Amino acid sequence: MQQKNLQLMLFALLIYALISVQSVDVPRPRGVSLVKAALYQPQPDGKWNCIDGSKTIPFTQINDDYCDCADGSDEPGTAACPNAQFHCLNKGHQPVDIPSSQVQDGICDCCDGSDELEQSRCENTCIALGAAAAIQRRNEAELHMKGAEKRQEMINRGKQMKADRSARRSELNARIKEQESLKAEKEQLKQNAEALETEAVEAFKEQQRELDANTAQAEQEPQQMRQEASLTFVRYDTNKDGFVEVTELMVDMNLDRDRNGVVTVEEAKYFLDERDRMDLDAFITLAWPRIKPLKMLADGLFQPPVEEQAPQQETAKDAEQQDPEPSEEQADMDVPDDEDGEDEYEDEEPDVGVGEATPDIETTTAAPIYDPETQRLIEQANEARNAYEEVARQIREIEHEIKEIDDQESKDYGPNEEWSVLDGECYSFEDREYVYTLCPFDRVSQKPRNGGVETTLGRWDQWAGEGSNKYSRQKYAQGAACWNGPQRSAIINIKCALEPRITAVSEPNRCEYYYEFETPAACDSDAYTASAQSQHDEL
Amino acid sequence: MRCSLFVCLIVGAVFNYGAGVDPSNFKTCEQSSFCRRSRKVQSSGSKYALIRGTLNTYTDSVTADLINKENHHQFTLKLEALVGSTFRLQIDEKQPLRPRYRVEHALKGKPETTRIRVEESDELTITVGKSKAVIHGDPFRIDFYEDDVHVVSVNAKNWLYFEHLRQKAQAPAEQAEGGDQAHQQQDQQDNSDMVQPASEPIDDPGAWEENFKSHHDSKPYGPEAVALDFSFPAAEMLFGIPEHADAFQLKSTSGTEPYRLYNLDVFEYIVDSKMALYGSVPVLYAHGPQRTAGVYWQNSAESWVDIYTTESNVVSSLVNFVSGSRKSTPPLAHFISESGIVDAFIMLGPKPMDVFKQYAALTGTHELPQLFALAYHQSRWNYNDERDVTSVSAKFDEYNMPMDTMWLDIEYTDGKRYFTWDKFKFPEPLTMIKNLTELGRHLVVIIDPHIKRDNAYFFHQDCTENGYYVKTREGNDYEGWCWPGSASYPDFFNPVVRDYYASQYSLSKFKTVSKDVMIWNDMNEPSVFNGPEVTAPKDLVHYGNWEHRDVHNLYGHMHLMGTFAGLKQRDPQQRPFILTRAHFAGSQRYAAIWTGDNFADWAHLQHSIKMCLTEAVAGFSFCGADIGGFFGNPDNELLERWYQTAAFLPFFRAHAHIDTKRREPWLFPERTRHVIKNALLKRYSYLPLWYTSFYELEQTGAPVIRPLLAHYPVDKEAFAIDNQLLVQQRLLVRPVMQQGVSKVDVYFPAIDDKKNGDYWYDADTYQRQERVGYESIPVTDDKIPVFQRGGSIVPKKERQRRSSTLMLNDPYTLVICLDRQGKAAGTLFIDDEKSYAYRTGESIYVSYEFANNQLTNRFIGKPHFKSDAWIERIVIAGLGYAPIDATITANGITQKLEIEQRSNGAIVVRKPAVKMNVDFALKLNAA
Repeated sequence: MQQKNLQLMLFALLIYALISVQSVDVPRPRGVSLVKAALYQPQPDGKWNCIDGSKTIPFTQINDDYCDCADGSDEPGTAACPNAQFHCLNKGHQPVDIPSSQVQDGICDCCDGSDELEQSRCENTCIALGAAAAIQRRNEAELHMKGAEKRQEMINRGKQMKADRSARRSELNARIKEQESLKAEKEQLKQNAEALETEAVEAFKEQQRELDANTAQAEQEPQQMRQEASLTFVRYDTNKDGFVEVTELMVDMNLDRDRNGVVTVEEAKYFLDERDRMDLDAFITLAWPRIKPLKMLADGLFQPPVEEQAPQQETAKDAEQQDPEPSEEQADMDVPDDEDGEDEYEDEEPDVGVGEATPDIETTTAAPIYDPETQRLIEQANEARNAYEEVARQIREIEHEIKEIDDQESKDYGPNEEWSVLDGECYSFEDREYVYTLCPFDRVSQKPRNGGVETTLGRWDQWAGEGSNKYSRQKYAQGAACWNGPQRSAIINIKCALEPRITAVSEPNRCEYYYEFETPAACDSDAYTASAQSQHDEL
Repeated sequence: MRCSLFVCLIVGAVFNYGAGVDPSNFKTCEQSSFCRRSRKVQSSGSKYALIRGTLNTYTDSVTADLINKENHHQFTLKLEALVGSTFRLQIDEKQPLRPRYRVEHALKGKPETTRIRVEESDELTITVGKSKAVIHGDPFRIDFYEDDVHVVSVNAKNWLYFEHLRQKAQAPAEQAEGGDQAHQQQDQQDNSDMVQPASEPIDDPGAWEENFKSHHDSKPYGPEAVALDFSFPAAEMLFGIPEHADAFQLKSTSGTEPYRLYNLDVFEYIVDSKMALYGSVPVLYAHGPQRTAGVYWQNSAESWVDIYTTESNVVSSLVNFVSGSRKSTPPLAHFISESGIVDAFIMLGPKPMDVFKQYAALTGTHELPQLFALAYHQSRWNYNDERDVTSVSAKFDEYNMPMDTMWLDIEYTDGKRYFTWDKFKFPEPLTMIKNLTELGRHLVVIIDPHIKRDNAYFFHQDCTENGYYVKTREGNDYEGWCWPGSASYPDFFNPVVRDYYASQYSLSKFKTVSKDVMIWNDMNEPSVFNGPEVTAPKDLVHYGNWEHRDVHNLYGHMHLMGTFAGLKQRDPQQRPFILTRAHFAGSQRYAAIWTGDNFADWAHLQHSIKMCLTEAVAGFSFCGADIGGFFGNPDNELLERWYQTAAFLPFFRAHAHIDTKRREPWLFPERTRHVIKNALLKRYSYLPLWYTSFYELEQTGAPVIRPLLAHYPVDKEAFAIDNQLLVQQRLLVRPVMQQGVSKVDVYFPAIDDKKNGDYWYDADTYQRQERVGYESIPVTDDKIPVFQRGGSIVPKKERQRRSSTLMLNDPYTLVICLDRQGKAAGTLFIDDEKSYAYRTGESIYVSYEFANNQLTNRFIGKPHFKSDAWIERIVIAGLGYAPIDATITANGITQKLEIEQRSNGAIVVRKPAVKMNVDFALKLNAA
């Protein structure tokens, strides 16, 4: 009896599914969209083909709560086929397709409740949702419209900036050409003067040679350095394998250049000239010059340099101020002076203003007193050198500016240059513990609210939005390394708003940050209308 | 060395995090005084004998006195016969200086004894049915026989070693390793009124105090170790005594470390190791083709187990064959414990499943879990806030992947104060929980035993005021260091403390959860970051004045008892779900376990099966491992394989360390996502089998997952196989646990010694394997070999839902795989999947039987549960012909059903549509 009841019940369900379909014109099985209604027509013999053509079944087996078709097409209105989709009409709101797993599971997924057979259990919320959605759409459209005006301003300014950059670039190109020829001229003058100077000085030196008894002392110095370096090497080489390794350096807190309490692998590697280990000779020539000043500093032996070593004084101060970003300059501060004159372009930030010409003479030893003629030639040579250096310095300045411009030019400020004006701005956001900063196209950082060191979360990397939404997301990478973890990085998710601001920051992954950022630059009214339209078309 | 304290700390920590555990942080036997002392007996032997005339015979037991012939100290022995071919042997001092600890709460109740028959001649013979114990007086030894086959001997090697309690010698100074003088004086005062027993000095420097690393153990009661050897003449291999990250078959410890049983929080444990881990279950099994036996060594102190086996290999088998002799020395286990008494249960089988059930009869089983607990769990240390939880749950729906339970690790609390929430990250926990439960999902939150010492924390206030914490020797609250910083540990051995703890789970106290929120008890070894071997000092004092030394391995168990009672009081209708890391014999009655803080590498994946197989036969069927590995970042392939493997272990949870990359399935490429989704769906489709298996575990004690030897006891090739497992006797699973393979060797076991085997049907294609031995089975990234045994019927649910609780009314699929006789049978259990109503008959328990082309059902008990579910389809593999249709008769009505063809000759009977509680007969009609 029960068996028959069940059959009857299923039959009744079937009738219901076939006939009492949503009260819209085209009759079609439950769960089928209007678009697909035509696919659900019985053949004259009462049969029906699965949509993928894999099988022919009686039309009555559609929505009979048994999965016959491999593509699930016979059960659009039940949960019988795992791969089927149920179409919610959601009249008054937006229609959606839900997976069959959500059909008839006791949870109202469609706002019209059509996914549950006992629809009485589900309130129809489509009208209310539809109205709310319409309001939201209107607000958003309005926002985009207003925002688009601001964006237009940004576009205008961005384009102007681009034009300015381009003009400036041409100007600099011209200037650098001028300066290059001037430089060649000054170099010739310098060479001439120096030739005379060298000749005179050599002659003078010849006279002085036998009188000079201090040479020995001068030679002693490198030897002493060698000895000191060797001693330190032995002390570092705790496993006595004849090499100093990164890990062996990591125990010396003197090497904690950013003073964060840990000697990181990067820090240690710096001292090893970016190698993993070093033998004694390499240590003396490459590592010791970098380590020694820190040692001396630690031992209180490193006296701030005296006046005539102006450039060195600056860098020494930097070291004391715990420059959080280890710079090359710091490393160079104890490197013998003979590198001067060939390292101008090695630094990221050219040492503008440092280039005062110094003759190739030991500043540490008192200059000998020359005869007046030699002295005159030296002074002439000095003048020629200074003149040459002045030109060289100007070239460096120009090149620096060109590099800046080229850097900016290489950045993608969007199809209309609308993001350009953000470069150079900074925004911040406070949560319970930290102040987060975003300087678009430059860096993102984090600083504890109760003071403490600022940590770089990432430097400008690229736009990272998916597909056509490329400009909805920015990625910043290569931030400070996490303790025992990866380098920090950040994703900036960007939305349209009238005023620029950060609305939220989180750390969903260890050391991977996520910013919500709003700016009018993202208010593309046309794109918004287009996407809204395409959504509407689907209805 | 120039190294600031801070740097040293950092370097130490880096080492801990980076390279796996440093074994030197944990004791070796040689570094443990009692192990060292007890092991010495293996060379010298001991001399114990029964004292004539002290025998007393009772209806179910005998007692006698035992003497150590070297120091004349006397002991009492009791041998008791229990129902189910089991004997219990207890040996204690006749007149100990103070009582020695006897384990409580591990057994599920007082074991039922049975009547014995005693015959006295040169030996004493005690007979119960087919079982027999023969006690030899001098030297003392007991031989156990099952149906006249000698299966177990106790003290056959004379390694019994029982350190009686004694006064400390007057001049202990030369033995001291820098102890605290004040303590020693106090001890002497405490003991001064006691009688000085006969005692020979124990000249081990660690006898009266012991140091390890920077930790001092005061050992006020001196040496008190117990040790005993068990040999197994009918066995060829030994297994059991979890928890170790090692092979299923126990290895000989000759010349190496013994297996250690001491609940420890081992950071980044290593595999292929006999080191102690989080749980200790001192049950050991001995198996041979004809007989299987077991020993449950009931002792909760630190224990070590030496194993002596002639490792069976081709050469030794050949030698034995040629010489015509069986092995000269039977496999042997030497149990060594630091304190307590000898309390051993000898289980005589005779078959593997009999022994497993005998052990379950003693210590119990997990009760039928709620269905959701067998489904997929999504965990991470940590889901950061409410938004995170909500969006992870939503993503599973977005990707149409089923998921039942979200987990919150320690960061949800307010500063690691358990029973509180971080109000900033989780301002509205009840709303968040409701959003989950409305989708049929659940939440599990962690509650650890360490209590933050914060005077503003109610729990700490209560424990301090009421003296609920574990005490130091001086009687102060012990302070250790754990997640919250300075922490103390409730003394769960005190029933008042357990009651207090249980009451904290009531919704009137823990208001920020609902009754659908279940509990994870972690760190309950207990883990003490600054304690000896990362746990509590042994000279702490518990309720009843027992030392921590005596009860260490039970601490987690007592914690669980409190939690279990709390959840039951909170909602008496709902079956509690608890996950625990520490465990002891009997903890399976309260909680599921997982294999702790594993690592994202292939070796740990392989060990997840080995470890859970051992746990399953030791009572813990409800076992799993962190999918993907707790530490480290699995690559796509490893994660895929891990999901596929874990889908066939009972506890199915993904979890990861806070420093790992996020690894929710949708964060991986399309292909990996697809493979993971299929693994999830496969698990969900087999939920009716898992559920029925757990019901039958509760009813019979039969493990849910089993090693091959459980059902193929005579096939020696199968004994040591631990990369395959059986789900009941219905599925054989051989996960792919190596990188980059396109085929794996699957072993199909023999049912006899003539190479006859079962039929096995590929669960995906129904292709049949008929041969015994290794077969190379091709695999793809989306497939692991799973076979259904010919002769079995497996109930499934093949519809997809977002969570298992929403599948309640979904229809069933029966998969029938025929044996050589064209027959098959299988059971199915159905109830409300949540409450205890099944215990009052609100259930359907049905056995399906197929024979002579006809399927029938037979209800075991009355099918009282009202289910809306029905049978959707019936798959039959192995018919050998194609029926044209089928006829079903139910409720007196007969009708025809269509038949569809599947691969490899399998057929599907379309839509029988019969309700689960209805009698029916279904006949296949040939052309």
